[in-house]
Amino acid sequence: MDDLLRLLKDGHARTIPMLAKELHTSTADVSRKIEYLVNMGLIRKVDFGPKKCGSCGGGCSSENGQKTCKSCMPEGGFQNMGQMWEVVG
Amino acid sequence: MSATIALLGQPNSGKSTVFNALTGLKQHVGNWPGKTVEKKEGSFVRDGKEYAVADLPGSYSLTANSDEEVITCEYIASGKADVVCILADSSQLERSLYMMADYAGIKVPSFLVLNMADVAADQGKKIDTKVLEEKLGIPVISLSATDNKKYDAFFEAMNRAISNKSMINIAGLEAELQKVDAYAKIRALLPEEGVKSYSPTWLGVKAIENDKLVMEQLKSVLSVAEEKQVEEIRCTSKGALDTGNSKFAWIDELLDGALSEQKEKIGVSKLDKIYLSPFWGKPAVVLTILLGLIGSFIPALPLMGVGSAIDMLKAPVGSALASAGVSDVLIALICNVVIQSFSYIFKMLGFVFGVLLVFGLLEEVGVMARISYVFDNTMAKLGLQGKSVMPFLISFGCTMGGAAGTRVIDNYGQKVLTIALAWAVPCGAAWAVIPMLSSLFFGPGAVAVVVAILLTMIVHMWITAKIFGRKLVKKEDRYGMIMELPPYHKPKWGALFRYVLGRTKDTFFRVSKVVLLVCVLFWALSYSFTPGVDPILCKIGKVIEPVTKIFGLNWQLFMAFVASSVGKEGALGVISALFTDGSVYGAFNDAMSGAATAENLNDILLANVSKPQALAFIFAITFNMPCVVALASTYQEIASAKWTAKIALYYTLGALVLAMIAYHIGLLIW
Repeated sequence: MDDLLRLLKDGHARTIPMLAKELHTSTADVSRKIEYLVNMGLIRKVDFGPKKCGSCGGGCSSENGQKTCKSCMPEGGFQNMGQMWEVVG
Repeated sequence: MSATIALLGQPNSGKSTVFNALTGLKQHVGNWPGKTVEKKEGSFVRDGKEYAVADLPGSYSLTANSDEEVITCEYIASGKADVVCILADSSQLERSLYMMADYAGIKVPSFLVLNMADVAADQGKKIDTKVLEEKLGIPVISLSATDNKKYDAFFEAMNRAISNKSMINIAGLEAELQKVDAYAKIRALLPEEGVKSYSPTWLGVKAIENDKLVMEQLKSVLSVAEEKQVEEIRCTSKGALDTGNSKFAWIDELLDGALSEQKEKIGVSKLDKIYLSPFWGKPAVVLTILLGLIGSFIPALPLMGVGSAIDMLKAPVGSALASAGVSDVLIALICNVVIQSFSYIFKMLGFVFGVLLVFGLLEEVGVMARISYVFDNTMAKLGLQGKSVMPFLISFGCTMGGAAGTRVIDNYGQKVLTIALAWAVPCGAAWAVIPMLSSLFFGPGAVAVVVAILLTMIVHMWITAKIFGRKLVKKEDRYGMIMELPPYHKPKWGALFRYVLGRTKDTFFRVSKVVLLVCVLFWALSYSFTPGVDPILCKIGKVIEPVTKIFGLNWQLFMAFVASSVGKEGALGVISALFTDGSVYGAFNDAMSGAATAENLNDILLANVSKPQALAFIFAITFNMPCVVALASTYQEIASAKWTAKIALYYTLGALVLAMIAYHIGLLIW
C-alpha cells in the first residue's frame, strides 16, 4: 500500500489497470487497497454529483433532498466520468 | 430464546437479504439508542427452537470511525450475540473478506457466509469452502441469499458454530502482524487475556490504527507508563497502512488454494489503445474534440436558422414602424438593438445546443473520461483538470461555446479559471480578422504575426493562470490521481436531451438580459440624438485620444477596439465607417451585424494606419474581451457578476497593455 500511495502522490494520473501493471499485481488488489485507503481517510473519492450548477448556484442537489434543476446534471445520466480519487492533504 | 445471531458485513454484502430471509415478517425496525442508525431485529424458529437475529449496521471495518462501526463493536463486545455470522461477497473475496480479517481476534463464536455464490460462479470463480474452513477454523459456506429454499447449509453452519464455539484461527494473521515492528512491541505490552471479548491481537491492531474506543479501554489494563509507551510506538508506525498490509496478506494466504479463477489479463480495448497511448493519445483526443466541434454545427443549424429569420424581420418591421409614424430613435432601438440582439442570441443558442448535445454525448459514451485522463497532467501545470482542454479547443471556434463546454468541469474554481483562460484563445471571428489585417500590412510577414499571436496566447494563458489561479484553485483542488475509466456504453438519450433542452432554455433567459442590457447601453452611447452633434462615445474617444495613443491606437482604432467587445467581426466595419467620415452610430450597427466594410477598406487602412498602429490594433482586438455573447455565456456558466466583471476588465486592460507592447516593438522595427 505504501507503493500505491507513493504513486498517487507523484501527480500523474493513472488508470487502475496501469497501477496494477506498475505494482505487479491485479486490478482487484489495487481496487481493494483504494477502498481501504478511502476508508482510512488517506485518499478520497471525487464527487461528481449534481451540484454547483450556474443556474441554481449549487442550491439544488439530490444530496440535500432538493430536486435538481434542469441545468444540473441529470440524475442517473450524463455522469459517465468513471471514478477518481485524490490523496488527502 | 435458544441463541442470538448477529449479522456482520460490509454494505452490499447481502446482510439485509439474509435478515429478511431468516425472519420474514417477524422483525421490528427502530434506531440504536442515542443514534440515528437504523436498528433491525427479528426472530425465527428452526427445529422447534427460537433464534433472535440482529442485523448490525453495515460498515467497512470495525475501527471506531463512524456511528455504525462504534455500534457494531459495542454490540459484539457486549456479549449479546451467541454467534456472529460474517458475510462476504463471493464475487470479490479479495476485498470483501476484509471485514472477516478485521473481526479476527474477537472472542465471540462465528461462521463465514460467502454470499452471492451464483455471481461468483457466473464469473468462473471456484471457491473451495472446505479449504477455507480448514484454514480459518470456523464453518464456511457458500450461499445465494436470494434463494430462500437453500438455507439448510446456513443453519447447519450456524449450529456448528454455536455448539463448537468456533473462533477464527488467527495464527496466520498474527504471523503477518509480527512482521510489523510497532505491532510486535505493542502486542508485548498487552495482557494475554485481552480485554472483554477482545484478544490482544485485535487490541494491538486497533491500537496501531489509533482506534479511540480501544485506546480508552487499554487505559484500564495498562499503567500510565505503558500507555505512554504504546502511544510512542504507535507514532513511529505507519498506522493503518501497516495493519492493512498484514490483513490483505493474510487474506491472500487464505485464498491461496481456496479460490481458483481465470488469470486476469490486464488489457485495454482497441479504442483505448489509441486514446490511452502516450504517443497517439493527445492527437486522437484533439481530433475527437475538433470533430465534435464540427459535428455540433449540425444540431445548431435549426436555431441558427431561427436567428437568421429574426434578422430578416428588421427591414419589414422598420418600414412598418416608419409608416406608422414611429420616431427614428425608437425604430433604431427596436430594429438595430432589440431585433438584432435576438437574432444574435438565437444564433448563439444554436451553438450552445449543439455543443452541449455533442459534448454531453461524448461524456455519456465514456469518451470525456478519456479526454480528461489524457490531458490531466498537462492541464495540471495550469492548475486545471484534463477536461479543461475541451473548452480551450472549442474556443478556437467560439469562446461562447468554450464557456458552455466548461459545464463538465465539476470544480467551481477550476471552471472559472478555465473560462478565464479560454478567453485568451483567439476565436473564429478573430481568425477572420487577424490574417486579413496581417497580410494587408505585413505581406509575407503575416505568418510571423500569426505565430506571435499564438505564442502570446500561450504566455497569456500561463500568466492568467498564475494571477487568477491563486484565488480560484487551491492546492487541494488538484485531483484525478487515479481514475477508473468507465466502460464505453450507449447513451441515455432521454436524460441527455432533457439536460440539453433545459440548459438551452435557461441560457436563453439569462443571456438575453445581458446581451440586451449591454447592447442598449452601447447603442445609447453611440447614437447621435441631435443631428450634427457627435454622440457621447465619439466625444469620449476624441477626449481620451492622448491616452489611447500610448497604446498605439488613435481614436478611430480605439472605437473599433471598443466595438470589438461587442463582436470582433464588426471591428473592421467600425474602422471603415470612421475613416470614411461615417457616423459612429453606423459603425456600431456594423459591429452588431458583423458585416459592412467599405469596398476600398484596404486603401483606407493603408492611408490612415501605420504599421506599428496596425500591429497594436491586431493584438488589441485579438486579446480583447471576445464578444458580448461570450460575456453573457461566461456569466451564465459561473453565475458570478463579480468574476465575470473581473475577467472582462482583466482582458480589456490586458489587451491594451499587449497593444502598447506590440506598438512599441513596431516602432523599433519600422
